[in-house]
Amino acid sequence: MSTAVAIHEEAHVPQPRQVGKPGGFLRRTNFATALISGIVTAAIFWVITDKITTAVAGTGATNSMALPSGLNINITMMYIGWVLGFMGGIGAFAGPIRWFLGHDLTHADAEYMAGKDMGREKFWKFTTDHKVVGIQYLVVTLILFGLGGLLAMLIRTELGATWTEVFNPNFYNSIIGTHGIVMIIAMIIVISGPIGNFIVPIMCGARDMAFPRLNALSIWLLVAAVPPLVSNLLMGGIRDGWTVYQPLADQAPIGMIGYQICIITFAFSTGIASVNLITTIVKMRAAGMTWSRTPILVYGILGSAIMGLVWFPMYQYSQILALSDRTLLTSFFVPASGGSVWLYENLFWLLGHPEVYVIVIPATAGMLEYLPVFVRKPLFSYRLAVAGIFGVVGLSAIVWVHHMYMTGWAPQSNYPFMMSTEMISIPFSFLVLVVLGTMWRGKPWKRLPMMAVYAVVWDKVIGGITGVFLSDTPVDQYMHGSMFVVAHFHYMLMGAGLFGAMGVIAYFFPKMIGRYLNEFWGSVGFWTAFAGFQLTFMSMFAAGLQGMPRRVLQFDSLFNVSNWISTIGAYIIGIGMLIFLYAIIESWRNGIPAPDNPWGGKTLENFTSTPVPHENFPVLPVVTEAPYNFGTPDPYELADDAIMQATEGAEKVSARS
Amino acid sequence: MSTIDERPAPQADEPESPTNRPASMHLVKGWLQRPYVRRLLWITVAITAVIIALSFVMVALMNMSGGPASSIMYEIEKTMYVLTIACAPLMAATLAVLTYSWWGGWGSVKADETPAEDGPGIQTNGVAVVTWVTFCSILAGFLVVWGLVELATITSSSYGSVPANQQPNNVKPIDVNVTGQQWLWSFDYPDAGNIKSDVLVLPVNVPAYFNVTSLDVVHSFWVVEEGVKIDANPGAITNTGFTPTKLGTFNVRCAELCGLHHAYMETQVKVVTQEQFNSWIREQGGTTTS
Repeated sequence: MSTAVAIHEEAHVPQPRQVGKPGGFLRRTNFATALISGIVTAAIFWVITDKITTAVAGTGATNSMALPSGLNINITMMYIGWVLGFMGGIGAFAGPIRWFLGHDLTHADAEYMAGKDMGREKFWKFTTDHKVVGIQYLVVTLILFGLGGLLAMLIRTELGATWTEVFNPNFYNSIIGTHGIVMIIAMIIVISGPIGNFIVPIMCGARDMAFPRLNALSIWLLVAAVPPLVSNLLMGGIRDGWTVYQPLADQAPIGMIGYQICIITFAFSTGIASVNLITTIVKMRAAGMTWSRTPILVYGILGSAIMGLVWFPMYQYSQILALSDRTLLTSFFVPASGGSVWLYENLFWLLGHPEVYVIVIPATAGMLEYLPVFVRKPLFSYRLAVAGIFGVVGLSAIVWVHHMYMTGWAPQSNYPFMMSTEMISIPFSFLVLVVLGTMWRGKPWKRLPMMAVYAVVWDKVIGGITGVFLSDTPVDQYMHGSMFVVAHFHYMLMGAGLFGAMGVIAYFFPKMIGRYLNEFWGSVGFWTAFAGFQLTFMSMFAAGLQGMPRRVLQFDSLFNVSNWISTIGAYIIGIGMLIFLYAIIESWRNGIPAPDNPWGGKTLENFTSTPVPHENFPVLPVVTEAPYNFGTPDPYELADDAIMQATEGAEKVSARS
Repeated sequence: MSTIDERPAPQADEPESPTNRPASMHLVKGWLQRPYVRRLLWITVAITAVIIALSFVMVALMNMSGGPASSIMYEIEKTMYVLTIACAPLMAATLAVLTYSWWGGWGSVKADETPAEDGPGIQTNGVAVVTWVTFCSILAGFLVVWGLVELATITSSSYGSVPANQQPNNVKPIDVNVTGQQWLWSFDYPDAGNIKSDVLVLPVNVPAYFNVTSLDVVHSFWVVEEGVKIDANPGAITNTGFTPTKLGTFNVRCAELCGLHHAYMETQVKVVTQEQFNSWIREQGGTTTS
């Protein structure tokens, strides 16, 4: 994409009065103050709530356990205290407070907040620069994957040891649930977080995100949301799987509150990040970047953000209502008092299914983004790719009931929802054609990102056909709730989502970090994990077909063999992922330095220097052509044209004679 | 690495002049004569065969514990075959292009530097897009229609929409109330003097209808080899049913996480002859009508 020079000169703007040093309160805050503030506030909230509830419980009560809701109120307020204290301690409330005090933000304040000329400490602060936020997201994602992966190893250890119970049922059920939700959170942010924040504004030719302070707010809300979730393992656990169906979750120990607070907070984080991404993409693209010249990754992130923004509140409401059932003893989901378990299931799956596309669409779009660079061909049928993405976004709204075929909620609704679910394969088929068409007759440049495309398409084909089985209600009547489902969604979320994300991160790593990802160790890790993945989940399909229900810790000896194979495969995945992690850390510290255009791409991020300077571009770029103008004239096409002309000529001759 | 594309473009057969065949036929013929197209077609055929073979493996796995034991399970397995075979060519074509590109059929570059040479600049191809989209839509439409018809079929056997007097041999269906609780199943035979059992006993070839509910949390009543599953919800009754067609002992499992001992919430369904069933009822102290 060629860029023309645009004169960008800042007119002198009269600044408001500078109060104190630039940055003000934010000079004193960082991650450490946030932790201290969070813990102290949590303790204060606990003590005050305990006093109040003891008083309310009436005479003779020595503690709040006398209330029918027991400790639930105390724990809830403690977690709320943690989130508020943490956000206050990082400086998230500094903006509104200074505005109330009449201290408007000056240019110097803004530059301090963006971390200009600051060293590494900017990564530990409430920094507004989108590049810093992108790196923060990347690190948080890696930590979440590490945690979720460790739990996955524990699950497979239990299932592989068919002769004994390694863990007690409470702990086992809790690690299933925690593994699920940690991985879901990690997968939702793995592309939209690091790549969406770091790369998308540069790709759009902007100097930052539309709302830089909201950007910092979204990452730190995420950081605040995770500890309550993880702490559930110390507080009785969430023994209900990641879906936490009611009223089972209502029976769960107090660890469940950690889950609920995490989801409520995380939903705010996602909503804020989505608004920010949508606004940036819609309003801040460079001059000349029309909707036909916008890179496909930007479309993918846009679609994902739209789905997240629209559907995440459903999940948030479901958890707010469930928390209210616990603490205020309401009865939204308590059947004995007129509540409905089906209401919960609907609210949950209204996000629960679109969330799959929130994960898969950015990974797919990221893959489409770099595929042309590695085959040196234009993206095949760009418009079809965009149509595919928005087809999925649109249809994602009307498929959630396929998770509820077997609930008995509304058997009649199985007919239309089976139809919509099978119809969503049509926009997905568009994306498949785009991948195949781009590969068609291209000479692949066999680097790690390109190899990831092959891995992802393979996984998608298998995830796709098993999805066809599951979307079919009669077959789902056998498969629902079995290991077959588990294997299927791991093929989509891990096979297509995570392996796709590994490719996307490998591709953007040089631009983000300034160094190439170590090709050798990266590939070894990737392929080891991929091989282990096939072993694990192929044999899990077999277990599911044989009739093994999911989320069990003991089972019929019929399923032993497939579970042994799965566990061996899972350990291989673990080893592969550790190698990949080593490649990331090693390359981060002393990889090969990357040039400005690491892969020979034509999108805007390749037209600024590496590492990307403060405010991204010395002068704002202007876009003059489409992003994938690779390729030479096609010899076959020339030959076909010749045939056309020759036959047309012949037809004319024969018509005349 | 030398590749097909580095060879001079094949001399497409010159149109016999003069000809009345439309130009598009020449294009298709020329396309089919490209060496890589032929190879891709052969790979597609081979992979299709493998996938169809796999559909038999899948159904064999489903039958490992003794199914199909009812017409519903039989319909499910039939649907598995149909869905797999219908999707096989499309999956195979996708995997064929994938493996061919990966294997280096169109050449490949292994270098640290960005390749200097660009590939053919194919922006799009109207014929390919229209063909692909049409084919995929027709395939999805077929899957939908097949699914709707099959769903209607199994629903009519599950919910008793076939009236009793139209049942084969005029047999009277048997009602069973199924109750799930943490963590066991109990079965109640209202037609036979309300006897209770923790093992489901059913006479062969008699339609059985279930009223399923739960005392505490959501369970899922899964009769594995009969291919029947429905959630047991607290505060609501859901219905399902089947006609066992095979004598033997099959599995009932809980398919929805229901707490600590979810894994152990399983029991058996014993499909016996009508005489054995009647004597079982009498042993339990119930009353038989026949």
